[in-house]
Amino acid sequence: MPSKLTAGSFAPHQLLPFLQQQSQGSLTRLYQRPSSCLSIFRLLSPLERQLVMNMLWLESPIPSSTMSAWVNKDGKKLYDAALSSLSQIHIISNPLSKLNLNPTFKSSLRQAITGGGEHRSFGVPSEKDEKRGPTTVESLDAYAVERWETILHYMVTSGTGQAPTKPSQGVLYLLQRSGLMATIGGGSLQITSAGFQFLLHSPHTQLWDLLLQYLHMAEERQMDLVEVLSFLFMLSTMELGRDYSTENLSETQKAMLEDLRDYGLIWQRKASSRRFNPTRLATTLTSSLPPLPSSSRSGSASQAQGFIILETNYRLYAYTDNPLQTAVLNLFVTLKSRFPNMVVGSITRESVKKALANGITADQIISYLTTHAHPQMRKNTPLLPVTVQDQIRLWELEKNRLKSQEGYLYTAFASQADYEFVLKYAKQLNVVLWENGAKRSFFGSMEGHANIRGFIERRTGAGG
Amino acid sequence: MEVESGSDDFIDDDDDFGGSRGKNVKGKGKAIDRRKKDKGKGKINEQAYAWEASYTRSWDTVQEDEAGSLQSAVDDLLARGRRRRLLAPSSAFRRTIIRHLILLLDLSASMMDRDMRPTRFDLMLEYSREFVLEWFDQNPLGQIGVVGMRAGVGERIGEMSSNPQDVLKAIADRHKLEPAGEPSLQNAIEMARSSMSHLPTHSSREITIIFGSLTTVDPGNIHDTLDACIKDKIRISVVALAAEMKICREMCDKTGGQFGVAINDGHFKDILFELIPPPTQRAASKAGGGASNPSADLMMMGFPTRLPDTSPPALCVCHSELKSEGFLCPRCSAKLCDVPTDCDICGLMIVSSPHLARSFHHLFPVKPYDAVMEASLSSPSANCHGCEAPFPKTASAMSGEGISPLGRYKCPICLNDFCSDCDVFVHDVVHCCPGCGK
Amino acid sequence: MSDFAVEPSSHMSVILDLTPAQWYLSSLPKNEYPLSFRSFLSQTLAFLNSHLASKHENTLAVYGALPGKSVILYSSTDSSVGQDETVADANSYQPFKTVDSVVASQITDELDALGDSDEEAPCQLVGALTKALCHINRIMNPNFTTGASDAPQPTREPRIIILSVSPDLSTSYIPIMNSIFSAQKLKVTIDVCKIFGPDAVFLQQAAHLTGGSYIYLERRDAYLQHLMMTFLSPRSVRGILAVPTQEKIDFRAACFCHKTIVDIGFVCSVCLSIFCQPVPVCSTCRTKFPMKTLQRLNASRPSFPPQPVVRSMSAARTPTTSTPPGTRTPSVSNHHADRTTSISSSASAKVNGSSSVAVGNGMTP
Repeated sequence: MPSKLTAGSFAPHQLLPFLQQQSQGSLTRLYQRPSSCLSIFRLLSPLERQLVMNMLWLESPIPSSTMSAWVNKDGKKLYDAALSSLSQIHIISNPLSKLNLNPTFKSSLRQAITGGGEHRSFGVPSEKDEKRGPTTVESLDAYAVERWETILHYMVTSGTGQAPTKPSQGVLYLLQRSGLMATIGGGSLQITSAGFQFLLHSPHTQLWDLLLQYLHMAEERQMDLVEVLSFLFMLSTMELGRDYSTENLSETQKAMLEDLRDYGLIWQRKASSRRFNPTRLATTLTSSLPPLPSSSRSGSASQAQGFIILETNYRLYAYTDNPLQTAVLNLFVTLKSRFPNMVVGSITRESVKKALANGITADQIISYLTTHAHPQMRKNTPLLPVTVQDQIRLWELEKNRLKSQEGYLYTAFASQADYEFVLKYAKQLNVVLWENGAKRSFFGSMEGHANIRGFIERRTGAGG
Repeated sequence: MEVESGSDDFIDDDDDFGGSRGKNVKGKGKAIDRRKKDKGKGKINEQAYAWEASYTRSWDTVQEDEAGSLQSAVDDLLARGRRRRLLAPSSAFRRTIIRHLILLLDLSASMMDRDMRPTRFDLMLEYSREFVLEWFDQNPLGQIGVVGMRAGVGERIGEMSSNPQDVLKAIADRHKLEPAGEPSLQNAIEMARSSMSHLPTHSSREITIIFGSLTTVDPGNIHDTLDACIKDKIRISVVALAAEMKICREMCDKTGGQFGVAINDGHFKDILFELIPPPTQRAASKAGGGASNPSADLMMMGFPTRLPDTSPPALCVCHSELKSEGFLCPRCSAKLCDVPTDCDICGLMIVSSPHLARSFHHLFPVKPYDAVMEASLSSPSANCHGCEAPFPKTASAMSGEGISPLGRYKCPICLNDFCSDCDVFVHDVVHCCPGCGK
Repeated sequence: MSDFAVEPSSHMSVILDLTPAQWYLSSLPKNEYPLSFRSFLSQTLAFLNSHLASKHENTLAVYGALPGKSVILYSSTDSSVGQDETVADANSYQPFKTVDSVVASQITDELDALGDSDEEAPCQLVGALTKALCHINRIMNPNFTTGASDAPQPTREPRIIILSVSPDLSTSYIPIMNSIFSAQKLKVTIDVCKIFGPDAVFLQQAAHLTGGSYIYLERRDAYLQHLMMTFLSPRSVRGILAVPTQEKIDFRAACFCHKTIVDIGFVCSVCLSIFCQPVPVCSTCRTKFPMKTLQRLNASRPSFPPQPVVRSMSAARTPTTSTPPGTRTPSVSNHHADRTTSISSSASAKVNGSSSVAVGNGMTP
């Protein structure tokens, strides 16, 4: 979605609604750890962050009127929204009279910024391993990419008869549990329409989508959510390429190691190892940097920069040698030819129809093309050819030519006067969908039925 | 016979453009003959026609190196820019800074030619707008007026103004400027001259003509007008879009202006934008060093204080409107709406000092850096003194005048090393050496 | 889809004024709110960390303006600057710890290296400012000739924050102005926090012309809070939460002859050099000015300070030779003034914002 670059207009991060559902007690427990405070702080919108920073070093509560005096006229709405969302996750207490940060949050964030304390929440680095050399960033990246693409590739090729490498059982369960894949007719796992939509998201969104599902699952598994969350936040503040020790982890967190290893967030030499390395997927959780290092051999920067060129004649050139990207494109593009470093195809009515049938929307296709557009394309305004955008939307509308609505057809009125009287009443209720005076019939929507029926019964009862 | 061969010449040309329609068989035979001769000549100097020669294939000038990289070509372009800067005299700070310019636009029917896309007229308007913006950026104390040449008369399109927005507004509406008729150089120049006659002697007076026609329809002798311009010290520069005209060339040569014929769109912009930097003062260069210069003068100027929009509102002296923001005259504390202007109360010229300061870099250019050709014995710094970029450890094989194989450029004053990016940035944008602050 | 990725990250270049003499003055207990260098540094480091905390991609460069020297203290985009020797520990976020230790140790090294003679040298603010601009120029336009384009850079908002304690240096007028114009070209905002000392006219202009904000720190005990409220917010947030702006901006310039700051100057029409008094020959371009002009200007010089009393126009027109009560010693007006004028006096003249009207007698040439 194109969005204006004004502060506050940024869509809130996916995780925040989840945090809002948590109880104040567990949130406060979470806020005891400086690393969690720092990570949550980074997930906030720019305006919310500034508000937190304005209050962070104040010792006493500040009257709301003082704070709102700094707000510009046009920013009032955004300011109020920011305050209320801060209070929903209990960072601000009672925004009505005096503004004050949650004392736990305040002291933890202060500690994060100035350092010190004995909380050990930023991860305990392990001692140098003398026997083996340090783990290189490249090998971590390769591992993360391999794990992540295995998952996506499995999803995209399911049901096509190919047999890609299966991700681990835990991942499969999570995919099924989140509704991204489903067993159809007791057979193998098949990708669902939600799964297709998932594929078109940015890697960052995909990652959080899965983690959110993981959190929901953790709730059911009776795991301590605070432990789970704070472990994720701790990972996000860790340094790429450094070894960390597992000693300081709680039992829940040790159990998580295995799951996160399957998703590619963590690398361990062997399952029983006492040290672990976060991968780039983990350390960029609270960042907008590309969470996946540019994949595979050559086109290093191409993935982050975008690789798709779309012409006004619906022809599409994708500079990629990545099978996953090709497979995703295949969802809505008719691929024509494939070269060592690029694929050529075109967007056709059939290919888009196929995508729509899979539950992908036109907007998703357009936003995928926009986010992955080649740097050369970015010189164009608008970025994508308008003809192609419009046509994709039109194809979507084509699908939606018929709209069904349930309701009741009222016929066989005794007289024209009867008919008109009931019709008038129905119109007052605003439930008439279709009427035909010649046939003395009209169609009313479902919700109006009880009233109309009662009305007719009263009339017939009164009359006869 | 002579007449006939003349017509053959014509057909010969026609032929070469691929337009042979077999109209004149006799002539055609001759034409082929001549073409053969032409070809023979072409083999000698490899250039058959002037118009083919002038068309350089830009992609041919770029050469890949053995590895297929364009790096060396790019570096070469950079080095060329450096060399040009080294050639520029470092002491040329006698420049006219308070400039008055009349932009003379050709609005004759010949401007509708489509040899430049979309038309000469549209292209001229587009470039004029960019020209005005850039001109005011570099000459913040200057003023521009606009005059058009249309249907045999001069037409005043925009009054002399120091506000770029006013000038842009004058040339914003293309429908009001629709080209028609023949141009008249004399009428238009006379009109421009009369609007500049009252200007003080210390400011420059210039006319820049964008001329697309090959004719001029004048009521009198244009040479009289030219003499009057020379007398008034008006400098005329012409950018011709069609071809060189004797009278245009003469006007530029005699008044000290520049003359150029645009080869294509890009060249049009180049020669137009060459007129933007303030010209060096002619009178001074002739008289040399310390001679008295009649056109120079000392002016008293005031630097105002700006009031914010939260200050209590007060009446301004220029419009008598109640306003909070504004500028205070330093001499009489009168409130003014905008600067630069003359104070309505005490007559002091009010400029904000940034306006003046914008021109200073013309006066105090940064000394060009020397390319470091070989690694010196005293171990030099590992990073660029400006941007902290590490220097390459090994010397590259590239060579060329003014380009350092080590990627180091040394300031002659503070002896710090800079990378090539900072070299360009310091000389073209900052105009101040990070090492010595000069 | 989340727009989380759309928000631009910001690059902050902070210039610390490290003039030991001024910091000594600032820490004296006789000030209403003394601020020692130590507490300044710790609060500044907290501010720098807050900037890095705001967004994972935010970048930071710290410069020191020392007497006679300017150095880069820390840069998060170049690993070559300030090698990090710290050991990781579980109680602090590693990037913060690196900034703290590198900046603090670099400052100590630089201050120790200062000799006694160096302390007299003027503060090299210009050097630091131009270095910051060069650095921003490089990271904003990753050029393949530098080999710095390791990764595609997302959109970045660059800004410069100057934490100043020393007074304006009039010799640096032209370089500062040149830096301001290049900052405008690069779309860099310059924020200025004047922590100690008199208002800095040039820095006021820098903030005004680049759309930044200039604050004069009166409550030095609330230094950190000022930094947080005013200078932390990126451009987009400043549209919603207002930041303090300047009340008045002085558009005065420094003259070329004595480097004094003037509000009415004499300007050479050829090269626009500014002089505080009429001179017969321009020192920059050696143009001789006509005698007539000199006489006229000398006659019209406003050689007395603004009158505290509003006078009628007719009264103002009559030449006044009496000395009005004021802080300045009036210089002799009239024709010989160009040699006898005391220059330093005009430097102390401030624009009087009150309603006093002092019309010079030079209305008629």
